[in-house]
Amino acid sequence: MKSQALLLLVVVLPALCAGVTGLIPYVRRRGMLAGTLSSLTVLATLVMSLVLLGRANGGEKVIVNVQWMPEAGKTLAEFGLRLDGISAPMLVVVSLVAAMVQIYSLSYLHEEPSESLGRYFTWHSLFVFSMQALVVSTNLMQLFGAWELVGLCSYLLIGYWWAKPSAGKAAVKAFWVNKFGDAAFLIAIILFHAQYKTWDIDALENQVRVTPPGALVVLLLFMGVMSKSAQFPLHVWLPDAMEGPTPVSALLHAATMVAAGVYLLVRFFPVFAANADALTVIMYIGIFTALFAALTATVQTDVKKVLAYSTCSQLGYMVAAVGAGGKLAAYFHLTTHAFFKALLFLAAGSIIHGVHSNELPAMGGLWKKMKLTTVLFGIGVLAIAGIPGFSGFFSKDLVLEQLEHHTVVWVVGLLTAGLTAYYMGKAFVLAFAGEARSDGAAHAHESGLLMTGPMVLLAVLAVVAGFFANPFARLTHLAEPGFHLTTTGILALVLALGGLGAAWLFHGPRAKDPAAVPGFLAPVDALVKAGLVDRFYEWSYRVVMLGLAKIIGWVDRYLVDGVMNLFGWVALEGGAALRVVQTGRAPDYVFAVVVGLVALMAWGYVGG
Amino acid sequence: MHLLTLIVLAPFIAAMVIIALPDRARAATRLVAITGAGVSLAGAIATILQYDLARGGLQMQKVVPLVPSLGISYAVAVDGWSLSLLLLTGIILFAGCWASWTVKDRDRDFYVLLLVLSAGVFGVFVSLDMFVFFLFYEIAVLPMYLLIGIWGSTKKVEIQGPLAPFLKRLDIGGREYAAMKLTLMLLMGSAFILVGILALYMAGGGKTFNMELLRGNMVMSRDTQLWVFPALWVGFGTLAGLFPFHTWSPDGHAAAPTAVSMLHAGVLMKLGAFGVIRVGMVMLPEGAQAWALVVGIVASINVVYGAFSAMSQKDLKYIIAYSSVSHMGVVMLGAATLTVSGWNGAVFQMFAHGIMTGAFFALVGLIYEKSHTRDVASMGGFAKFMPGISVVFTLGCLSSLGLPGTAGFVAEFLVFLGAYKSAHGWWMLPGILGAFITAIYVLKATRQIFWGPFPEGRFEHLEDARGTEWVAISMLAVCLVLFGFWPNLALTGVDKATVEYLSRVVGTSVAAAGPALVP
Repeated sequence: MKSQALLLLVVVLPALCAGVTGLIPYVRRRGMLAGTLSSLTVLATLVMSLVLLGRANGGEKVIVNVQWMPEAGKTLAEFGLRLDGISAPMLVVVSLVAAMVQIYSLSYLHEEPSESLGRYFTWHSLFVFSMQALVVSTNLMQLFGAWELVGLCSYLLIGYWWAKPSAGKAAVKAFWVNKFGDAAFLIAIILFHAQYKTWDIDALENQVRVTPPGALVVLLLFMGVMSKSAQFPLHVWLPDAMEGPTPVSALLHAATMVAAGVYLLVRFFPVFAANADALTVIMYIGIFTALFAALTATVQTDVKKVLAYSTCSQLGYMVAAVGAGGKLAAYFHLTTHAFFKALLFLAAGSIIHGVHSNELPAMGGLWKKMKLTTVLFGIGVLAIAGIPGFSGFFSKDLVLEQLEHHTVVWVVGLLTAGLTAYYMGKAFVLAFAGEARSDGAAHAHESGLLMTGPMVLLAVLAVVAGFFANPFARLTHLAEPGFHLTTTGILALVLALGGLGAAWLFHGPRAKDPAAVPGFLAPVDALVKAGLVDRFYEWSYRVVMLGLAKIIGWVDRYLVDGVMNLFGWVALEGGAALRVVQTGRAPDYVFAVVVGLVALMAWGYVGG
Repeated sequence: MHLLTLIVLAPFIAAMVIIALPDRARAATRLVAITGAGVSLAGAIATILQYDLARGGLQMQKVVPLVPSLGISYAVAVDGWSLSLLLLTGIILFAGCWASWTVKDRDRDFYVLLLVLSAGVFGVFVSLDMFVFFLFYEIAVLPMYLLIGIWGSTKKVEIQGPLAPFLKRLDIGGREYAAMKLTLMLLMGSAFILVGILALYMAGGGKTFNMELLRGNMVMSRDTQLWVFPALWVGFGTLAGLFPFHTWSPDGHAAAPTAVSMLHAGVLMKLGAFGVIRVGMVMLPEGAQAWALVVGIVASINVVYGAFSAMSQKDLKYIIAYSSVSHMGVVMLGAATLTVSGWNGAVFQMFAHGIMTGAFFALVGLIYEKSHTRDVASMGGFAKFMPGISVVFTLGCLSSLGLPGTAGFVAEFLVFLGAYKSAHGWWMLPGILGAFITAIYVLKATRQIFWGPFPEGRFEHLEDARGTEWVAISMLAVCLVLFGFWPNLALTGVDKATVEYLSRVVGTSVAAAGPALVP
């Protein structure tokens, strides 16, 4: 089949599937049928994406555009499909992780009511459609459209258990924060069009070389990235998003959707790179997020929250790498991170499925009950910690090497690597080592094949993906290939091993109280518990927004409308006052006529 | 028969047939009403298919002299704008007839008034003759008094504060109050419009009311334009919810029965905006240019102020009504930009907001019928029993906050783009701020109504939409998504008309402006 047709199918098939599972009641009410349909569809898109990846690797490039909106008889906005070395790998990552997650969900959520499951898989298909449409975008406008649609899917899937108030709040919060970032994104899009008259990737790349964009417009665009990819201080929605089902967290809030921000940075790198100042700001925000989120992760007790902050932190790495000019490093880390973080989330889901709790202090000793999950989670930990042989080692090393020229950033990056190893090691040790610390943990059981199968595949990828750094570089044309071990790599490795050692020391079976926060992290714990960032948002919503609404609501009812009512009131009262005159008795009227006549005559006499 | 005349006459004929029907013929009444609406809708679609997009301009013109001595004639035609607005009116009227299925009390009279009103709306959108235009305009506005006064709902608004003793006397929130307020304020607007139209007529030498003919022989000095334009702006603007003359809208729409709210917020408010652009701006270029800044500022206030007001409301219908005030501000903002994108966006927003708010009022009607409350705070967990309604409501919210993939996005985006490219680039900011505030209050309302635990025992027999109730909301939902993904269905025609009319206003052709956009 022609590449154009394949590309179109990769985008459209999931949308059709969403239509079938969502709109045909027979399918929607049978959750397992909807799930099977949805999984098969996404597997089909996976196969097609792999074919496309092969063709892109062979140097094929496809660009198709159709008009979306006109302006003065010409084309204003377009919808298009683009296959090249950058979009192809992302297509595979998205459909692969989505396929694994959907298959996993079939088992993980099998106790859910059938009707809800139909809804669940409809949103999943909708997400795959939106994400693929984002990946194949030929222009900034289309990317923004798909960008908001994936945000919608995130909102719908976080709110999957809508009857739970916390889930509802988390979903709405995620939407609000994203909408805030997207408002800035929208302004940037408009400014870009006003300046360059185009949103097309290639055209924009050519034009920014001639006239670079201002820092403001680039940073506004970056604000969209900050909300989507959970960069400080717009990261607040991501930890709350863990209210959604765990497979959703794996797909949207770890592997693919949150990475869309980084994808945007890579896709439009020339635009960002055209303004060096903006790029530097981006790097600092990224590295600060990496450190901040890693520190926060060290004191979390909920395994999903640990992973959520860890995602924040890793995204910070990617953003910092782009900020330092390392688009290949960022994109490669995005890919490996997608595999190992999805694996970690699915493994965490497997634990939660077995233990019926998210709390790490309530786990322990799971090694004896869930041997496969232990191994798989362990692979994920080693990958994210950056142990040689695992994919995270290669990609993180690329990232850190990019930061070498900026000493402070580089040091913070290394420190974060150590912290990452520590908190992931801590989560691993608390969950699997030692003795069971609750009934749930004591009666845990291994998950079924539908759940472990996808995890095994992701684990294999989490190991081997790292060895494809050079082919990846050639495919994407992002930088010269060539992996080599440097001082940075050795330092990062030493710190990672140190982090893992510290985790074993403080939280291992020999520790006095494995779940306790060690003394040196007490200030972090206190700061995290204070929740300053969240409280600031709470304040701006409750006091500023609702306060303004209340004032304006009052003004409208009593002042603006008050003037209108005043007219009405005057008319009513005036009528009531004049009614006294209208007595209806003839003598009164005759009297009035006489008085009037006399008055007129008198006036005529005096005036005349 | 001439297609446009058929569209205008079909609801009117249906109304006459209903009058002739016996009192108890409930099914027949509905059938006739839906047939009349259906003919108009089909006519609107046929008009779109027949319209030659490549040629553009006014087509299917028909002129029948009525009072030749005064230059009054029945002159109708369509352009790219009226195509979309005819379609909108057809859709909303058709959906509204289905949504009125449950009207039991004096339903014959109800349908008659509804249909007559719609005939007026269709008439306005196709009229070229300003006299007939005004006549249709009044036909569209006046039946509201009876529709709200007789079939409206009564819900007292709690009045607090120092002015309470005075306001209590006015029975705020009651249907008589709402009907009276709406009619009086709109009639005040009409008075302004009449002045404006007569001024235009006199400037043309008192020979014709036909806008196309007037254009050729009208001589109006800049000074005259400077006071005629605001008359038309305030006059038509009142119907478009122009701040500070918008206060009839929340009370009126909250008190009106479902189909009337749908038509009024969905279509009638567009008459106002359409009038401002088509008569005010296109006929008075110098006036429009001079007043653009004021129009834009007031529109910006509308957008933000309306959104904040909506946020402060507790009654679901008031929330939707205030959101209309905010969204109509987007239309006026687009108009004020005097740019192609802005005008395209303004007209598209008329369409998108009409569909969206129509869907909202239909949904609120359903929710109220089933739960007997409009107080958002007392609701919760409704998704359990009304999953279908909750999905369509959410879709409406998404269009309202301008999510890509819904019609609302296309409209708002074009307006914001136009706003930035206009002489006053900062107009974009209140627009985007308004969209953000909208996101806050619509999602909050959705969560309060449909999500969270279901309050057991408070609501009996809550159920999803059934049978005929599905017709209105599902067709409106389909339109929201269809025009969101494929805006060209309407936008190509709108763009044609915009180029032509805007060129007249700015004095140079806007078609060739700028280099080729995207190769």
